[in-house]
Amino acid sequence: MAIKINDVSFSYLKKTPNEVKALDHVSFEIPKGKITSIIGHTGSGKSTLIQMLNGLLLPDSGFLEIDDFKVTSEKRKNKRIKDLRKHVSIVFQFPEYQLFEETVEKDVAFGLKNYGLKENESIEKAHLALKEVGLDKSFYKRSPFELSGGEKRRVAIAGILAIDPEILILDEPTAGLDPKGSELILNLIKELNRNGKTIILVTHDMNIVLNHSDYVIVLNDSTLSFKGTPSELFTRDVSNYSIEIPELFKFALLLKEHQLNIDIEKIKNVDDLINQLKEIK
Amino acid sequence: MNNLTFGRYSPFNTCVHRLDPRNKIFMMLLLMVSIFLKVDSWSTTLILTGFIFLFLVIVMIISKIRFLDLFKSLSTMWFLIIILMVIYVFIPNPSYNPNHIAFYIGTYGVNYDAFYQSGYIIFRLILMVMITMILTSTTSPMDLTYALEWYMTPLKLVKFPAHIVAMTLSIALRFIPTLLDETQRIMKAQASRGVDFNRGGLFKRVGAIISLIIPLFVSAISRSEELSNAMEARGYDPYAKRSRYRVLKFHLSDLFAFIIVGAIFAGFLTLRIYDGYIIKIDFIYWIFGAKPLF
Repeated sequence: MAIKINDVSFSYLKKTPNEVKALDHVSFEIPKGKITSIIGHTGSGKSTLIQMLNGLLLPDSGFLEIDDFKVTSEKRKNKRIKDLRKHVSIVFQFPEYQLFEETVEKDVAFGLKNYGLKENESIEKAHLALKEVGLDKSFYKRSPFELSGGEKRRVAIAGILAIDPEILILDEPTAGLDPKGSELILNLIKELNRNGKTIILVTHDMNIVLNHSDYVIVLNDSTLSFKGTPSELFTRDVSNYSIEIPELFKFALLLKEHQLNIDIEKIKNVDDLINQLKEIK
Repeated sequence: MNNLTFGRYSPFNTCVHRLDPRNKIFMMLLLMVSIFLKVDSWSTTLILTGFIFLFLVIVMIISKIRFLDLFKSLSTMWFLIIILMVIYVFIPNPSYNPNHIAFYIGTYGVNYDAFYQSGYIIFRLILMVMITMILTSTTSPMDLTYALEWYMTPLKLVKFPAHIVAMTLSIALRFIPTLLDETQRIMKAQASRGVDFNRGGLFKRVGAIISLIIPLFVSAISRSEELSNAMEARGYDPYAKRSRYRVLKFHLSDLFAFIIVGAIFAGFLTLRIYDGYIIKIDFIYWIFGAKPLF
């Protein structure tokens, strides 16, 4: 099963002078077990879309199918919303602002307790999740408020990972982090994907799109403009999408134009390009 | 949580929106005083408050305020209404007519007057809600604080920090929508972690609220620190003389609106003064020539 978005529309502040159309008859599919990036300018409808994927917002028209869950415009038909939220979890932008417990381990276990796990069981799972994000024992009893920005974010992500969702959505997971913190998070995402999780990334960073995602979806003015692989996107004319082609990809394209035998499809990062150049030699 | 949108400024461009905020605040006060001027006869009081009610409904229609919002805000008041009812019905009041007993609970006679009295109070409360709603949904928070600052200017003579108070107020008002959005954001984030804000017993709900309030305070405090730094960085000095980008002006339409509200107030005041001193006014008695019911 895949994630299907069927003719979905949504407006904010309906029937007021401030009404904003966020999604306008959008349809596409997101493949499972892959990393898919959703990109688009500010206000293009990305955040609205991801909130629909776990039932935080309901579409005005159209419906979403996520495995055997269905999100429709009618409230009473969405009875299994809590199960859906366990199945599809969102790590919001700046998730460190949602921390509130006294200790790191309690905060990570909070979600599990909400889903009915017992105290000691949830703490045990919380430890596993913290290990997954690379935080060791010394962090367990510390207050989440005394951690650094990157550590806080990893705690917040662990809070979601602990729930063990099938599909994980991350809204700009690297925003405001230093390069090292970003790298840690991105490696974590890759690792999670390798373990079989479907990842949906919302991002403005085209290097993340190129380097980390299998598929990319471009939203533009509340409508779908493109779906395909990153290299397909970057070889197109993207001047309308307000996105910047990564320097590395531009360079690779230039090399190809100069008759060098380069497989554009396989270029994800500098190492890929170096390896291909070595082979040419 | 969606009820919180009650009274939020909605930026239509109607003639009520365009009125001078200073004038609007003054008119609001006049109407509120009118509501609390009570004449001796019940029927006249009912007619008068009914008149204000009609007037407010018309103003609400003109200023495009949705009645649904009014009902939403009133629906949160039911607890208050019940308490008022209970107090009025069960506390004996010597001014009630002893012949107006509705029914007995044990030996205690419940008086009809108690119901009229509490009904009247509730009706006035509803009118108050309508008046404040008209003010806040047609006037932007910034305009409101400008107007308040203007009213506080005379206090500067006694060294009252009018500007600082107005600035504090305007920042507080300015941040209400921001904090509401923030609340929504945190609620969504916690809902993603399985918190259900609408269901569950008391214990669960308290837990849910804590998961909302602590992050809200943390972000509000960090926001206030950022804001004060940003203000200082741009050279804000609370004691400096300040000019204004938008100067408030009293237009002809303000005069017109003021005359209407002023007339209502004057009418009420006249009735109140004459009532009980010179003649006993009872409209129903005048019109139908019959003795009023109560």
